[in-house]
Amino acid sequence: MKISYNWLKQYIPNIPSVEKLSEIFTYHLCEVEGVEIIEGDTIFDINILPNRAHDLLSHYGVAREIASFLHIDFINPLKKKELNEKEDTKLLIKIETKNCRRYMGRIVRNINVDQSPEWIKNKLESIGQRSINNIVDIANLVMFDCGQPTHVFDLDKLYNEKIIIREAKDDEEMTTLDEKHLILEKNDMIIADEKNILAVAGIKGGKLAEVDNNTKNIVLEVANFDPVTVRKTAQRIGIFTDARKRFENDLSPELGNYAMKEFSFMIGEICPDAVFEDIVDIYPQKQLPRKIFFSADRISKILGLDVTSNDIENILKNYNFLYKKKEDIFEIDVPIMRADLNCEEDMAEEIGRILGYDNIKPVLPKIDFLPKENQVYKKITKARSKLLKEGYGEVITYAFRNKGEREVLESASDKKFLRSNLSDGLKESITLNQKNFQFLDSDLVKVFEIGAVFLKDREEIRVAYGDKKSITEVALDEYIKNNTLDIDEVEVKKDLNKKFKMWSLFPFIVRDIAIWIPEKDNPADLIEIFKEKGTELLVKEPKIFDSFNKDGRTSYAFRLVFQSYERTLTDEEISKIMTEIEKKIKENSQWEIR
Amino acid sequence: MNQNNSIKYNDSSIFISKNNSGSEHPLMTLVNQAYDIFSKLGFEIAVGPEMENEWYNFDALNMPKDHPARDMQDTFWVKEKIKKEKEERSERKVLRTHVTCVSAREIEKAKEEGRIPCAYISIGKVFRNEATDATHEMQFFQIDGTMVGKIKDGISLANLKGVLDFFYKEMLGSDVTVEFRPSFFPFTEPSLEVHAKFKGKWLEMMGAGMIHPNVLENVGLNSKEYQGFAFGGGLDRIAMIKWGIPDVRLLYQGDLRLNQF
Repeated sequence: MKISYNWLKQYIPNIPSVEKLSEIFTYHLCEVEGVEIIEGDTIFDINILPNRAHDLLSHYGVAREIASFLHIDFINPLKKKELNEKEDTKLLIKIETKNCRRYMGRIVRNINVDQSPEWIKNKLESIGQRSINNIVDIANLVMFDCGQPTHVFDLDKLYNEKIIIREAKDDEEMTTLDEKHLILEKNDMIIADEKNILAVAGIKGGKLAEVDNNTKNIVLEVANFDPVTVRKTAQRIGIFTDARKRFENDLSPELGNYAMKEFSFMIGEICPDAVFEDIVDIYPQKQLPRKIFFSADRISKILGLDVTSNDIENILKNYNFLYKKKEDIFEIDVPIMRADLNCEEDMAEEIGRILGYDNIKPVLPKIDFLPKENQVYKKITKARSKLLKEGYGEVITYAFRNKGEREVLESASDKKFLRSNLSDGLKESITLNQKNFQFLDSDLVKVFEIGAVFLKDREEIRVAYGDKKSITEVALDEYIKNNTLDIDEVEVKKDLNKKFKMWSLFPFIVRDIAIWIPEKDNPADLIEIFKEKGTELLVKEPKIFDSFNKDGRTSYAFRLVFQSYERTLTDEEISKIMTEIEKKIKENSQWEIR
Repeated sequence: MNQNNSIKYNDSSIFISKNNSGSEHPLMTLVNQAYDIFSKLGFEIAVGPEMENEWYNFDALNMPKDHPARDMQDTFWVKEKIKKEKEERSERKVLRTHVTCVSAREIEKAKEEGRIPCAYISIGKVFRNEATDATHEMQFFQIDGTMVGKIKDGISLANLKGVLDFFYKEMLGSDVTVEFRPSFFPFTEPSLEVHAKFKGKWLEMMGAGMIHPNVLENVGLNSKEYQGFAFGGGLDRIAMIKWGIPDVRLLYQGDLRLNQF
């Protein structure tokens, strides 16, 4: 979520520097995905964790958190503000579903739809939002400010002054603000008047009661909806909005009071002639108070850090938790906005992250575990060692194929089946590798894979190995039964510290060269010449593939592989390099190119 | 020519051998190395199915149906022949989205066999239904570990840090340091992101935390009596960092040119 530094500063005048704030986010709250400096402001892109999405997807929430963390002043800008006059209302609200936990509505008359003033435009644009008109902008501003989604209907487009929150009927239809046509189902929650659907609850407003340039009278909506219902409908109709994101994370219905006050006040500020009617507040499901009990001792045991009662009391005070302490047990009233706090472990996280996990020092456990040997792993290791010893190269191929016995429901790829054998993948691997056999120091490519296959009624670990002539595939258990496996551990030359060398995607050219040298001479000297004259195009360590002795001399046949990372090589340029190599070899009168 | 050349080349290394030993897939080299390291700390190796029940992959791990946390993992659901009745422990098949389900199965078994305190390490293939690119694959390897005991055994976040510090130092070098940052996972509380400083840069390596009390209860342990930690993260990522492998997709092409170590 995008958070404006200046916006936060309105709540916390003593806000720390951008760098310090970034560090607090990273080590005590959540990941900072980006920090962007724009004209006169700094915008943080922070990744609010899902368990705090109900109270931190807002500037108010983040500012509140930082103020508590640093124990600095927090200014509530609405505290001293009150609307002067309110008129009686005839607005009727009827909740006909258990999935609407609260619905607050308010009629405001005599407003004036216009462009937003610059400060509102700037505020919205700073966090990547587009300005639409003053009324819609205020609705959005309230959401990004305090976290409560809001909505506005054009009162004169409603059938009458009655709003109903109910479940849709199957096949009921509506068109959204952005002209998307929806066919609704029974479990979708909607906002309606006595005739038409006005909005999909908590997700998207409808075209019908849209605020336009001629709108004079409006209804403000501040509501709270069941997260699962919102989520299911939104998923089905495929609409992702900022409102949905907040509702599906279980907002507190108590947030409504603040939001309605802020919403009304801002409209009053922008439209001085507006006439406000009384708020109609239907609140059938009051949020119940909760308590958590925990001890400093258990928190310390979970964290592996000595946390004193004093440490805990300081945190509880700074975060405005109401608490009692009886002997060693803390009893807290969970703050209304903290739906994430439910048990002792939640408090361990709260205290751990505030103190900082940096304070936890690494300690190896001193417990005498009695591990058993895993039989499946043992078999895999044995089969693998034997195949490696026999010269097979190990591969891991894809589990997804275009045919098989089991199928996945949906896939981002076109291969929807799970492999029912390893051989098909192995065959492709062999074909690929056979093309590169000069790279692999072997004329015959041999590969193996050990892995799971998916059959109609079960999953099975198989062993498959082979070359271009044939592939053998058997169940791991069968392989173990049929093979003598006296080897414990295979000795493979390993240099784990070297860097991976990516191969070139351009074709390579192979040249063989055979040279007679006196028996006493070292063929490694020839390799030095190849490397010197072969230039960077000689991509592989030259190797001897044939040698024999005659009359005090030895003939060595070398294989040289040339390749460029940037282009396709020509025969001519390689011939030129070969000529240089030959010239250099001929400088030694006892060496002779065959 | 100078004679020192022969030091660089012994006779066998300059010949193409007909009896070469085969080459190891770098991921499997890492798997074995990781198992060795955790075995030194008393962890037991565990292996589980790649096609998992909904219960072990999600519900047991405190991710009930319709929980937004399920969105964090793009899941491959497997087509069922028979529509299953609603079961208490859903056996609806899914390609496991993490190896954490193996840890859950093992703790449950350890409880039944009276083998707690226990510690398990499991490394295996997992699946995510997402578009692939240089850093994302539909299949990849994950390493998952857990350690559980009675509360008096005191298995804590400090122990988690000790274990992971030991692991990354063995795996990536003794100059590596590990730090925790706040995070969220449904199956752990507190939840952490594990970062390791490798060659001067902080890299996100794993998710971890203390096992959530709901998970303990789901695998048959009283959360007022037992506590433990769990951690999990990608192995492909370690391979890419350690060796500088540029693209995760190279690991699954069946190309032997990959086997360089």
